[in-house]
Amino acid sequence: MSEISLPRSTSPRNPRISDASLSVLLPVGLAVFVLVAWQIGAKVSGISPVILPAPSDILASYNGIVGDLAHQSVATGSEAFFAFFLSCFFGLITALVLSSSVILFETFYPNLVVFQIIPKIALAPLFTFWLGIGATSRLSYAVFISFFPVALATMTGLSRADAGALRLCRAAGATRWQTFFHVQIPYSLPYFFSGAKVAATLSIIGIVIGEFISANEGLGYFILRAQSYGQTSKIFAALSVLCGLGLLLYVLPVQGERMLRKWWRGS
Amino acid sequence: MSGHISVENVRKIYQTGKDSVEAVSGASFVANDGEFVAILGPSGCGKSTLLMMCGGLESITSGKITIGGTPVTGPRASVGVMFQDSTLLPWKTVRENILFPARIQHRTLQDVGPRADELIELVGLGGFADKKPHQLSGGMRQRVAICRALVTDPDILLMDEPFSALDAMTRDEMNDALLDIWDKYRKTGLFVTHSIREAVYLADRVLVMTRRPATVVADVRIPFGRDRDQSISSTPEFTELCAYLRNMIDQERIPGRSVRRVKAA
Repeated sequence: MSEISLPRSTSPRNPRISDASLSVLLPVGLAVFVLVAWQIGAKVSGISPVILPAPSDILASYNGIVGDLAHQSVATGSEAFFAFFLSCFFGLITALVLSSSVILFETFYPNLVVFQIIPKIALAPLFTFWLGIGATSRLSYAVFISFFPVALATMTGLSRADAGALRLCRAAGATRWQTFFHVQIPYSLPYFFSGAKVAATLSIIGIVIGEFISANEGLGYFILRAQSYGQTSKIFAALSVLCGLGLLLYVLPVQGERMLRKWWRGS
Repeated sequence: MSGHISVENVRKIYQTGKDSVEAVSGASFVANDGEFVAILGPSGCGKSTLLMMCGGLESITSGKITIGGTPVTGPRASVGVMFQDSTLLPWKTVRENILFPARIQHRTLQDVGPRADELIELVGLGGFADKKPHQLSGGMRQRVAICRALVTDPDILLMDEPFSALDAMTRDEMNDALLDIWDKYRKTGLFVTHSIREAVYLADRVLVMTRRPATVVADVRIPFGRDRDQSISSTPEFTELCAYLRNMIDQERIPGRSVRRVKAA
């Protein structure tokens, strides 16, 4: 059989932006514009650097604190990574267990949705009260807030497997478990990864909040200390490192999604 | 005898809240072992519902459907089903998709593997066994779906408008592929379609269904042998049969017209 040209993968991107370099140039351009405007604004307006330091001030403030920042980043980063990993693991397990039976699903799903609405940040002090001021309470709290999006998204995915595929299973005489493993779980994976993306952000937030409440190291602790000395530019320096950590963590589910797409689309 | 389908006075009523909709009303027909029967009717007339009841995928409100002499109560391994959509699992290769029902039914690879490869060759997917569905065209995906429906060697193949989503040229190709398959593996086939041409081209008999509530109003025998090809579609008989069926469907559309039972040729 002669070679048949395969259908091209269609880009979801706006067709008017056909030039790929433009889709990089535009966002980077905006970021540079904002930084430059910030720099000029901060210098020209005469606002005190204690209130709003210019980007150049922030850069300068790195001088002498790089070692300290690196140390704090490792503390926060390792805890956040661990929290992210645990929340994905427990979220996935919870979703699989609760979706394995209709009764479990119907009992828990609406309650989880309602629970999701609670502003869980307000619960952080309780964790310190229950589990003390150590890493355990920070980790538990971070896992607690980032676990829900993973569990809920995966449960949603498990319940939304392609209707045609489910009918196919029925026609082939598949058991509930066969349908679960062969169709529902694979179809839920994209949902799992979108839940994991939210969890990546939340686990850093959880750890930093924990550090705000009780810690003697970590970027949250660093920020509070800098604030008490009125070192605003150091706060911004720590914030930019936090952004970097967040990105690093966020790359994991994005990479997972990419692998999934490759698996689904073939190489 | 195992491919014999008997449908007796079957009704289907959908209950939605207080309303009830009668989708199929007292349909009766028989498909003999090895016969290719097309069920022709306007869109949304309940013909797919009737087919799904034969496959055990829809419950029967009243009446009786038997396959090979035993009443249909649910899906069974001796019946293969093809849907309008190819419904391939996107993460499985062509070969894995074809083997899927066999895997569900715990058949061994030694048992069904050679048959899968034979089917892949027969429908012309030779070089594509390890491709993913995303890399295939619509027609190729439906070819995979045919192979999947046949891999467990069922006695009966139920097809629910399997080619209606394809363009006209691909559709003709698929019709020919289906004729080839029928030459090689003689099954009992029930083929739901709203294309008169397709029904006449493929079937040994065409059942005409009315609009909702659907019932079978005509049973037309198609006088062409199984070894047919596209050349028959230009014969006067073919055109006449199509016109005859068209006329019958048009008459059904006019309310108040009495329903006639017609037996042709």
